[in-house]
Order: sequence, then structure tokens, then C-alpha cells
Amino acid sequence: MEEYKIILFLCNWGPHTAYQQLQDNGYQIPLEVKMIRIPCTGRISKALLFKAFEMGADGVAIVGCNSGACRYGSGTLTAENNTEDTRNIIDLLGIGRERMRLATFLPDESEALKTFLADFCEEIKELGKSPVMPAKLQPVEVYDESAQQVIARYDAYSCQDCGKCTASCPLALSGKTFSPRNIVSDIIRGNDATEKVYADVHACLTCGICHERCPSDVNFPEFIRDMRCLLNQTRISGERIQPHGGFFQSLMRTMTSKDILPDRWKWLPEDIKVDPGSKTLFFGGCAPYFDAFFKKHQHVNTVDILADALRLLNFFDVRPRLMEMERCCGHDLLWSGDRTNFMRLAKLNVEMIQDLGIETVITACPECYYTLGFEYEKNGIQPGFTVTHLYAFLENEINKGAVTFKPLPRRITYQDSCRMNRMEEIINLPRKLIQRLAVEQFQEMKDSGRSALCCGNCAWTGCDAYSKALQVKRIRQAHDTGSDLLVTSCPKCQIHLRCAMEDPFQETELKMEMIDLTSLIARTICWE
Amino acid sequence: MAKKVNKQEVIVTGFGGQGIVLAGKILGMAAALGDHRESTLVQSYGPESRGGACCAQVIISEKTIQYPYVKMADVLVCMSQSAYEKYKSQIKPEGYLITDRDLVNPDGQREVYDIPATRMAEELGRTMMANIIMIGFVTAVTALISEKAAREAVMSSVPKGTEEMNLKAFTRGFEYGQSKLKGREKKAAGQTGAIA
Repeated sequence: MEEYKIILFLCNWGPHTAYQQLQDNGYQIPLEVKMIRIPCTGRISKALLFKAFEMGADGVAIVGCNSGACRYGSGTLTAENNTEDTRNIIDLLGIGRERMRLATFLPDESEALKTFLADFCEEIKELGKSPVMPAKLQPVEVYDESAQQVIARYDAYSCQDCGKCTASCPLALSGKTFSPRNIVSDIIRGNDATEKVYADVHACLTCGICHERCPSDVNFPEFIRDMRCLLNQTRISGERIQPHGGFFQSLMRTMTSKDILPDRWKWLPEDIKVDPGSKTLFFGGCAPYFDAFFKKHQHVNTVDILADALRLLNFFDVRPRLMEMERCCGHDLLWSGDRTNFMRLAKLNVEMIQDLGIETVITACPECYYTLGFEYEKNGIQPGFTVTHLYAFLENEINKGAVTFKPLPRRITYQDSCRMNRMEEIINLPRKLIQRLAVEQFQEMKDSGRSALCCGNCAWTGCDAYSKALQVKRIRQAHDTGSDLLVTSCPKCQIHLRCAMEDPFQETELKMEMIDLTSLIARTICWE
Repeated sequence: MAKKVNKQEVIVTGFGGQGIVLAGKILGMAAALGDHRESTLVQSYGPESRGGACCAQVIISEKTIQYPYVKMADVLVCMSQSAYEKYKSQIKPEGYLITDRDLVNPDGQREVYDIPATRMAEELGRTMMANIIMIGFVTAVTALISEKAAREAVMSSVPKGTEEMNLKAFTRGFEYGQSKLKGREKKAAGQTGAIA
């Protein structure tokens, strides 16, 4: 018989007393229940709840005190929110929301707790084993590579010590003691195993502005990426420097399980037409997960970008296929230093897309575009399909003519996406599209195009007070243009800048409406 | 409508130097050589070739054409305002009025199929190619001649070495025409924007 694993997060106060009563009375707690005593259910973040599933739990129960009986006041409410969000996420992933439960008990409700446990165990057994294959149980591919090889690959030896990288680095300019040049010289000297180098390598935004400025053309972002992959081979993953408790890395690793059947598109509005027989696939990206994760505190609505992208395709009579089982492209895994699991995702994605007989993949996400279009091949996986960014498709179609844009009485400015801007070299494409719009004014920010500032974070790695300072600076630049609408091209920029706008110390000073370029086009495009 | 109608009469008109006569010639050639129908071309020469309203009259027919002049056109292509003023009365009620959007300001009496041909030609690098863009547009909108025949005629009529550029111009106009038709269809069906 298969062994089930049910994780029980048990609050130290009310329910733990009930639990002990059960034990005192000689009740055998079901063997599959692994109890973890916690100080308060409110402290169990979404990352921790989800991690249990990532590591192979078949069910997770979080058991606390009744609302109002919480020793710390708001613990139960926080737990309710966290549970709801996590349930939505595991449902999207195809693990099933039933596998997670929240319950509350008073100290004397031991009988009710007993019934709850028995009932939950029974339900989990009915559902069967979790489809998740813990990434940690799978072999880690070890790349026989040294730091010196990474240095040599990007020819970092040719560093002239000019310091242009540090002088242009947005983190350094925000006041952080951080210097790309020093990281390189530390590693060249063989100090790659120190804590400082580890922290610095993971603090980098990989925005690429230093590469832009480097007279020796050292590709610093890719150098950092490879160093992260290298350093994390010998360490337990860098969770402590991963924001949101490493939730997103956890999520991506979970998606490497072959057996999970995600249902990424069930939220799709009815007006969108798709064709299951099409040779063109629309690759959405992780927006539905972002929305589920950030819903409560930031009102992030990045699925709108996907819906609007699909509407634009429909507008031009393209009915693409959607892949229900679509997984993350793996961009953030690779860029946070987990090459093994990136490769697993990449292989899985390419296999699934090829099985559908897809010839063209269209995506509206700059990171998916970069990863599917370039990174897979660089890592030795031949995709066998062409990857088009939605903007290229739109530019081509709009260029054919007979479409126009409804006037929009807004003054807009544009936040560049680092991937699109400096790595894919399509700086002008979004601008061309913006120029076509009938807006009142389009004003570039002080730093734009090749010198554009990052939104403050990449690959869910290394967010700190300096990233926040950088974001505030960026938003102020946007305000300085006199614009009232900030146009973005990457869902992450939306999330990060929105987070900075919520800064309670700045009150409403930073607030600015944001919209993705895709949505802006979809809302104003019309036939001539 | 390509082969259903027995006889189609076309007037292509504009300034001298815009390649009006060549456009007429290509239309006729495409019909005769590519689509194996009969065609005639009458070109107005004279002072027009140095500016002023220039005109090419093309007739395309299934049968032998006895009289090559056009009284009332099925398709009127105007590439200048003066040409438009001069010829606007010589179009059948069900005919197509086709103009260069930036050069002709129509009086709004009838439906117009317009294309910024000259501007597009400038974008492609040569203003001279406006006529080829126009042929592409006419081919898509009116189906006077088949696309294949039109392309072949363009290829054989333009100076050596410019074929590729001209085909690109043709494609540009053709796609614009297709897009225009699609847009009208969509609009007629009540769908104007991307979001319902």
C-alpha cells in the first residue's frame, strides 16, 4: 500500500490542546498525518503552505484557533487569506484545491478535531497520491564547470577596471554597496565561495545596463546567471535571498512534475475564440499564478494582458491554440540559478508543444519570448517551432493597414522591459506601436531605451530596500514626464512597480495608473 | 467578381509622372497575358506628361473589344485632386472609386476605397512605386485581375533590377486592400474593435 503524507500545521494554542487531549486519551493519530507545531496559523505563509506540496505532500491541513480566539489577533484571518490563495494556486496547477483545508478548533473540541482528521485522511485517500514528483528527489545534474570557466566564457578577464558598470548600475546608484566590477575581480581571484560574493551574485538585477556600457563587452547578466547556476549546485538553493519565501521557485520546480495536469486557461472569458486544431500556439505565461498570489494585497490583474493579447489575435482573425497543460517557460528558474530544473521544464515544454504539431508560438511575455525563442536553443534544446512576440505580429498586421486607433485623451510614458530592451534588441518595436496610438502625448522617461531603469527585480531573486529605492526613483521619473498613464510591456514590471506604489510611507504620492501595452492596443484598435 | 462580368472599364488617372500609364499598361497586360482575356489601353499624352491630369483608359473583356474608349468606368483610380475633379462624374453607380488618400479629397458623395499609396511608397524608399502599390490595392479590392497575373505583369513591366522592390510594393498595396476589405466586412458585422 502506498504511504500517504498529510502535513498538519497545528497552532500551538487552541487546537494543540485538543490534539494533546486526543493523544492523552489514547487515540492513535492517523499515521499519515505528520504534525508540525506552529506558533500561529497566521505565520504560515503561502510559500510554506505550497512548499509542502512541492515536497510531495498529498494533503495539507492548517489548523488554528477560531477567529476572535487568536492569541495574536489577526492570525486566523491571515491564515484564511493565505489558504484561499494557495488553494487557488494548487487548483490552477491541477493538484486540486480539495487537498488543502483550513479548520479552527477551540481547546475543548478534541472530538471535532478527531472527526476532522479522519475525514480529511479519507478524502485524501480517495483523491489518491499527489501528482507532484518532488524535484529534490530527482537527480541533480552536476555541470562540471569551474568559476574560471565561467569567467573565460564571457571573457571577463578583459575587464579594464574602468568602473563604468558600477557607475551605471541602478542598484549602486540607489546606494547599495554593490559593484559588478568587484564581483568579477573577486571571482577572478578565486574568492567565489565567500558569502559576500554569493550575496552579490544574487543581488544583481541582471538588467544588463552594465553590459550596455562595458567597453570590453562583458555580458554581465549572463555571467551572473551562470555564476548563480554554479554556486547553487553546491548549496541548498538560495531560498533565503528569494523574495516571497521562495514561493515562485517552489512553484516552478513543482511544474517539472510530468504528471500534474494544470488547468491554466479555465478563467478565459467567453468572447475569446480559440481553435484546438490550430498550428499556432499562444503561450500565455505565468500571469494566472501571479494574480492568484498577489490578489489580496495589490490587485494585480495580469491575466487581462493574456485576454487582451488573445483578443488582438482574434481581431486579426487568428484563432490560436491554447495548451491547458502549459507550464512555466523556466526563465526565472534559470536566472535564479537552478539549471537542472530549468532544463526539465524546457524539455517538458518543448515536448508538449511539439506533440501538438505547433509551428508558431506567439507570446506576449518578454521573458517567455526570450526563453522559448533563444534560451532553449542556447541550452541545447531544439524547439522546432518559431517564436514570435505579439508586438512583432501586431506591427506586421497593423502595417498592412486599414486599422486605426481610437483617440485616448491620456498622456503616457513607457517602462521598458529589460529582457525585451537589451537582450532581445527590440527596443523600437514597442515604440513603433506606441507612436501609432492616438494618445494625447507620449513622453519618454529620463532614462529610456538602452539606458532604461529596471523595475527593481528579476527572477524573484534579491529584493531589498535598494530595489525599493530604485522603484521609487523610476516611478518619480514617470511622474516627471507629466504623464498620467504608465505603459508597461512585462507583467513583472506591473507587479513590482505596483508594489512600490503601495509604499505606506509615500502615501499616495507615487500612485499612477498602469496598463500593459497589449491591453492599451486592444482597447483602442479599430477597423478604419 | 473576376470572370462573372463580361466587360470591365477602368480609368486610371493622376498627375503626369506618377506612372499612370504604366499602371494602366500593367492592368491590361495582366488581364491579357495572365488571365487570357481581351484588353485595350488608351493613353492620353500631351501636356499631361509634364504634369496636369494624365489618364489611362483600360478595357478588359471576355470578347473582342470594338471600341477602346471608356465613357463610364467600373473602376476609377484617382491619384490627384484635379484628376478626381475631372473624372468623378465618369463612374458607374455600382463602380469602385479608388483614391490615394493623401492626394485626393473626395466630396463624400459615394463610397471610396482609399490607400496612402504615395506615403507607403516613400516609406519603401521610392515615391515612384506608388503606382505599383496602387495596382496591388486595385487587385485586392476589385478583383479585376488575378493576383498571379498582376504579379507577373509587374515583374515584366518594371525596369530590370527593381523587380523585387516593386513586388514588395505590390504586396504592400495588396495586403492593404485585403485588410481594408476585411475591415469593412468586420464593421458591417458590427465588430469594430478588439474588445466587444
